[in-house]
Amino acid sequence: MPTFKLDEREIPFEKGETIIQAAHRAGIDIPHYCWHPGLSVAANCRMCLVEIEPPPGRPAMMLDVLEWDADAQDYVPQKKPKLQPACQFQAGEGMVVHSEGSKNVKEARRAVQEMLLLNHPVDCPICDQAGECRLQDYWLEHQGSKKRMKDEPVHKPKAVVFGPTIVYDAERCIVCTRCIRFCDEVAGDSVLDLRERGNLNEVVLAPGRELDHDYTLMTEYVCPVGALTAVDFRFKARVWFLRSARTVCVGCATGCNAFLDFDPRDQKVYRHRPRENPDVNKYWMCDEGMLSYSRVHENRVLRAEIDGQTIEFERGLKKAAKLFKSADPDRTAIVLSAQHSNEDNFAMLVLARDYIGSGNVFVNGRPGGDSDEILRDADKNPNARGVVGLCTSAPPAPFKELATALAAGKFTHVLALGSDASDPDEVAAFEDCENLVLLTSHRGPLAAHADALLPACTWAEADGTFVNRTGIAQESERAIFPHGDSLPAWKLIAAFGRALGHSFGWTKLRHVRAAMAPDPGAEVAADAEAQSGAPA
Amino acid sequence: MTQQASDYQGLGPQKVRGVVVRRPNRTAGVQAYIPELSKGLGITMKHFFKNTKEYMLGQRPDPVLESTTDGVNTISYPEQRRPYPERFRGMHRLTHRDDGSPRCVACLCCSTACPAQCIHIEPAEYPEGDERRGYERYPATFVIDELRCVFCGFCVEACPCDAIRMDTGIHAAPYDSREQFIYEKDLLMSFCGREGDQVTENARHEPGESTHPGVDRERHGH
Repeated sequence: MPTFKLDEREIPFEKGETIIQAAHRAGIDIPHYCWHPGLSVAANCRMCLVEIEPPPGRPAMMLDVLEWDADAQDYVPQKKPKLQPACQFQAGEGMVVHSEGSKNVKEARRAVQEMLLLNHPVDCPICDQAGECRLQDYWLEHQGSKKRMKDEPVHKPKAVVFGPTIVYDAERCIVCTRCIRFCDEVAGDSVLDLRERGNLNEVVLAPGRELDHDYTLMTEYVCPVGALTAVDFRFKARVWFLRSARTVCVGCATGCNAFLDFDPRDQKVYRHRPRENPDVNKYWMCDEGMLSYSRVHENRVLRAEIDGQTIEFERGLKKAAKLFKSADPDRTAIVLSAQHSNEDNFAMLVLARDYIGSGNVFVNGRPGGDSDEILRDADKNPNARGVVGLCTSAPPAPFKELATALAAGKFTHVLALGSDASDPDEVAAFEDCENLVLLTSHRGPLAAHADALLPACTWAEADGTFVNRTGIAQESERAIFPHGDSLPAWKLIAAFGRALGHSFGWTKLRHVRAAMAPDPGAEVAADAEAQSGAPA
Repeated sequence: MTQQASDYQGLGPQKVRGVVVRRPNRTAGVQAYIPELSKGLGITMKHFFKNTKEYMLGQRPDPVLESTTDGVNTISYPEQRRPYPERFRGMHRLTHRDDGSPRCVACLCCSTACPAQCIHIEPAEYPEGDERRGYERYPATFVIDELRCVFCGFCVEACPCDAIRMDTGIHAAPYDSREQFIYEKDLLMSFCGREGDQVTENARHEPGESTHPGVDRERHGH
């Protein structure tokens, strides 16, 4: 691999890569505003300027400048090398680039930073971006001086409503055009553009349009400053109070990698933002997914309920188990959920096959929805593929078949994970179900017909593995602690199994995971035990 | 059997002997205590009459300024109070703008700085059409739990708008329930500074106010 030299360090690069790309890959951050690894190069912020030495034997490109000489008290003519934007300049074999090490580059960055802040309102206290703002970070790193301009800054429109999700503040905008390029190149809807020039430059909507495509919140996410703010997150929290968990979006089968930002003090989730993964979602997420975090708090089942009456958890568990005590395994249906993780569904399968002894396994989930070519999938369940993969002997039957069977009176007992209905028209069939026990996190369409509801955790409150549409199994971390009486679904299933009188030993997630994919050592140990005649 | 110290030291048991002390020679006058008693009572009565006179005539020394002079200089709290120093940190107040709205922009800097985490703010945005919309937000709720507060004054230091101050001169008073220590926005805004003002001398002139030096596009024709 060819290399170039950046501040005395050899950086490998691939042919066609720019300096900033190669440095980014090597873990060196050249300061930048307008460059984004997933967008085209605009080279308009000038923050990434670097000094590139001329090829051997060639003169350097020098500029004539006037520099203030404090001794002479006058401007004197000087020569300075012409700096190049690292985001646009392609790396070449043996190239020598100076970034941090060059006095000229430092001066240029300081000047660019001062220029960008010239008309900035510096209203950080009321700006949502404060705490994760490039202007703040780079001011500290590269400028650190007070504003020298005494004039009133240029005033531009503030709190412009761009659409149902985004509010724009032109005064804070540094016109890096990331949002415009995102709409053009990724969302494929050129709804944003620039108008005017210089310090009157601002981002505007196309005439007669609103920013209302399916990826509007990404424009806010790519904005390096506080110019674009999300209506949903506006003024809700200060980012320095938030902590992030590495989760997987449960909005659809794409399984975008995400950060779930929550406030550990009140255990509340505030936002979803994309986590880079070149194999799944690159740098992006859709609005639907970014707003799906609100499911953690909305419409939750937090207490055990028997016949619609809230009841203490232990008693609820006993009563729910009592419904299943005399169940005929052949007339018992077990419903898995494509909304839940592999671990949860595996626990349900084990309960069904090994303990209850029922082979009537169905799969449920949220109904389908819109899709597009970018990220969104029509299957709105994050783990449909994982559920199918778990059922090795026979694939689970769809929800519709269960409804049909119920209408025909085939089943007397139904134990379901989740209360969604992938076919909302078929919910009525559950009305006559004598014993419907739901282990659910949300009050879905089935909840109204349930005889017993037991509270399960959402994905934000438990670790779990989700398999996306391309078959990639991805782990999602717990963000907040379980709300109310809810338990991670696998734990709830184990507790339900114990209440039924079975010896369900799992108390930790690793027990479930070990049972799902026993490591070779464990298998050998089990074999050895079996051969020596020891009880298994 | 307990071991005696003298045994341990090998000196053998010792007998403790008492010494007869003679009674001191006292006269009958001394023995009766009467002159000394009346001497002591005399001093007491001298102070009693002096204090009564000063009290009746209003000549008592000031308990704060003349605390080392003779006479009764006890502070009769709560009627009398020691004056607090100028920078005494008392209960919080929220300063007003000229139009009576809170100066606070709900930036949460105070609750970030607060080591006791006793400040809870819910920010809100000015409605569409308001002159301050876009420039400012305001606290929809502003609650201080004065029981948790440690009166460190960090909130005052952190405030970029001089919206929260601890110059009311009111110290934390005992109440009979915890709820009474939960100070909400209206109560905090009703307090005055020690000079009786509800505004601040360090006013920051906000866009939209007549005192704001700035211009906007409409007025300047950019």
